[in-house]
Amino acid sequence: MVARFLRRNWAYLVFLGGVGVTGCLVQNAYYFQVLTFIGINTLLALGLNLLMGYAGQISLGHAAFYGIGAYTTAVLTTTWGLSPGLALPCALAVAALVALVVGLPTLKLSGYYLGMGTLGFGMIVHILLREWTEVTGGASGFIGIPPLQFGPIAFTDPRAYFYLVWATVLLSFILSHRLIRSRVGRALRSIHDSEHAARAVGVDTQRLKLQVFIFSAILAALGGFFYAHLINFISPDSFNFLVSVRMVTMVVIGGMASVWGALLGACLLTLLPEWLHAFSDFEMLVYGLILMLVMILLPQGLTRGLLDAYERSRKNSS
Amino acid sequence: MSAAAKIQAEEAPLLALSSVSKAFGGVQALLEVGFAVAPATIQGLIGPNGAGKTTLFNIISGFYPPDQGRIRYAGRDTGGRANTELVRLGITRTFQNVELFESMSVLENVMVGQHVQSRCGFWGALWRTPGVRREERKIRDRAMALLEFVGLGAVADDRSGDLPFGWQRLLEIARALAAEPRLLLLDEPAAGLNAVETRELATLLLRIKAEGVTQLLVEHDMSLTMEICDRIAVLDQGRLIAEGRPRDIQSDPAVIAAYLGVQTI
Repeated sequence: MVARFLRRNWAYLVFLGGVGVTGCLVQNAYYFQVLTFIGINTLLALGLNLLMGYAGQISLGHAAFYGIGAYTTAVLTTTWGLSPGLALPCALAVAALVALVVGLPTLKLSGYYLGMGTLGFGMIVHILLREWTEVTGGASGFIGIPPLQFGPIAFTDPRAYFYLVWATVLLSFILSHRLIRSRVGRALRSIHDSEHAARAVGVDTQRLKLQVFIFSAILAALGGFFYAHLINFISPDSFNFLVSVRMVTMVVIGGMASVWGALLGACLLTLLPEWLHAFSDFEMLVYGLILMLVMILLPQGLTRGLLDAYERSRKNSS
Repeated sequence: MSAAAKIQAEEAPLLALSSVSKAFGGVQALLEVGFAVAPATIQGLIGPNGAGKTTLFNIISGFYPPDQGRIRYAGRDTGGRANTELVRLGITRTFQNVELFESMSVLENVMVGQHVQSRCGFWGALWRTPGVRREERKIRDRAMALLEFVGLGAVADDRSGDLPFGWQRLLEIARALAAEPRLLLLDEPAAGLNAVETRELATLLLRIKAEGVTQLLVEHDMSLTMEICDRIAVLDQGRLIAEGRPRDIQSDPAVIAAYLGVQTI
């Protein structure tokens, strides 16, 4: 019984151990912030990976849901004085509702056209955040978002916040894994391989695409919620087109159709700019170069590439 | 499949087409086609390229609606109904150019085939209740049984896109059977198969018939068609020019003139 539990869940246990040990070892508040950012980015990449990697539907506007999550909680907690515990379900619900309304027409498109449609949506939300000054604070941003507090428990300590975000990541991993290994997950992957054949076996492709779109929007909004309460200040440019592209890059670099790929992609794309500060003026140049190299050498993404390398080495040694 | 046996006793046709027409732009793909298919039989559908066979398949399986005409299936009017609904009612199909879910395993392909047979939805999958787990085991067991039925049990865990072509055809049939159809539409299942594989296919189709599944078979391999079909419908330029037992079709002057031409069988 115990052995079976260990065998099935060893990856989660390693993950849990890794997060626990990291939380104990790190002392510096800045490092905690970076690590928390990785967690938030993992949530974003995970949701988008379900949509792109599994269902094969691209979204170039997912930063919009990230922004909707952040701004909804900002307005509710700061302007209206609601507690973050109440603002959280509201933020997720708003993102889900917007995803429903936007997804209904756009998900009928496919390929480049879906990319264009979602791109337009992302731009509209960005402009809305910038121009709707009375509510969002406009281009200068939204100041004074309160730190996170659920009832009597406050997450003002960077370590506590780190643990909270990563516990959420773990939970999202478990839920995503369950989804993928279910009837629904198989149907999602079948859409990716052949939408024609998926329909022939009776998969309601439109409905399923919409559901996974909404689910990924909820994960993005969750990331936005944590982001807003982490740095207490948000501005529209944190949710613009480039952020959407970065989310897509995390999924592609980490590895499509892989839950752990989301984690790898988020790690790399969050840490790389930190490490590359040494190159000062050439930072972006080196950054782009590394991404190009990864794509050329490991076109299937890091996860697949590392797994293949591992299997090759095992074959060679035996 | 027991339901199909019950229908068989009633002698009513499982599928009846009357004056089905379809045009694409200016091209009349089908013109007033009508014939009936008795339960638990294999109905052949032959004709030269462009005769309208695949169009008729796409209409019966709900990929697009007919312009005119009636399609009665199991006592219902099904013309123009959505294809997902028809799968639920027991009409499944295979494709001329094998369309598998190539990145998925052989077993998973057949598991997806049971989509309409199972219920677990998006939220059910997230909570993974005991009911969902039971259903998942049932799906897996049944998929395995179907793979054994078509003879692919040994490669259940292989990636389906890596299978040899002949096996891909068999897998597609297993996937179509997974939805427990009463009517199975097979679009040129022997295309690209060698002689041995074609023999095996013939045996498989007869075994499927013995299970009570009605089959509509588009096929270019004449000896296969003549051997296993109970009746054959012949289309030429969108019209039905003959319908009857294989023996009668072979000697039908209209068929010989329009389709078989100078070839002799």
